[in-house]
Amino acid sequence: MGIETELTIVSGLPRSGTSLMMQMLASGGMDVVTDAIRAADSDNPRGYLEYERVKKTKEDPSWIPESRGKVVKMVSSLLYDLPDSERCRVVFMRREIDEVLESQEKMLRRLGRPSAPADAMRRSFAIHLERLFRWLPTQPRLSVLVVNYNRLIADPRPEIERVVAFLDGRPDPAGMLTAIDPTLYRNRVSPTVA
Amino acid sequence: MSKVQIDANLYERAKQAAALAGYSSVDELIATAIENELKRLGEADAERQVAEQLRGLGYIE
Repeated sequence: MGIETELTIVSGLPRSGTSLMMQMLASGGMDVVTDAIRAADSDNPRGYLEYERVKKTKEDPSWIPESRGKVVKMVSSLLYDLPDSERCRVVFMRREIDEVLESQEKMLRRLGRPSAPADAMRRSFAIHLERLFRWLPTQPRLSVLVVNYNRLIADPRPEIERVVAFLDGRPDPAGMLTAIDPTLYRNRVSPTVA
Repeated sequence: MSKVQIDANLYERAKQAAALAGYSSVDELIATAIENELKRLGEADAERQVAEQLRGLGYIE
């Protein structure tokens, strides 16, 4: 088994850099699975690179075979829905939680939808991630690489090298680097790197 | 320390299970069970809130 026959997944909480990682892998020459249904907007000027069918993976995983060898974006909670037999490489994005929350709040406001208080969401996301990272090591079919968004923006090359090694050298690091635009790093709450 | 009442039969089953599982007492087994249940309930509540947020953001249905 190798990267050509496995599904590569970019995962994480919304607004943690998953779209950026998708763009980086696309720029690095990897095929990304997207239907372009969710168009670019002010929250994601370069687009979301999402695939609607991943939302229904539990009921209908038939999109997976044709997506092997390619990259797809899947929000953290959907990882539980992957079929037990599916071998996947998961690039999991982590970002300072206060930046994630601020960005999500802005997006929800723009969409005219309610958001729970930040303290409650911070606690709930912490429990969600703690539970997920307890579960992931029990799934030998899922290889996981955690990439810190803040570190990636501050000093991209070492993080890109880690991703390239994790994906068997498949993406081109120079191409990946071209996708990083620090001017799109908004909702910054602290100059320090986690 | 607070006291709770449980059915005598359940207490006997808990006593046997505690001995088999290596608990020092039935009290310890019950305290562990309550801790685990509280954690599970807390997780379920957190996951519900996360799901609501993700749904609002359009990432899940």
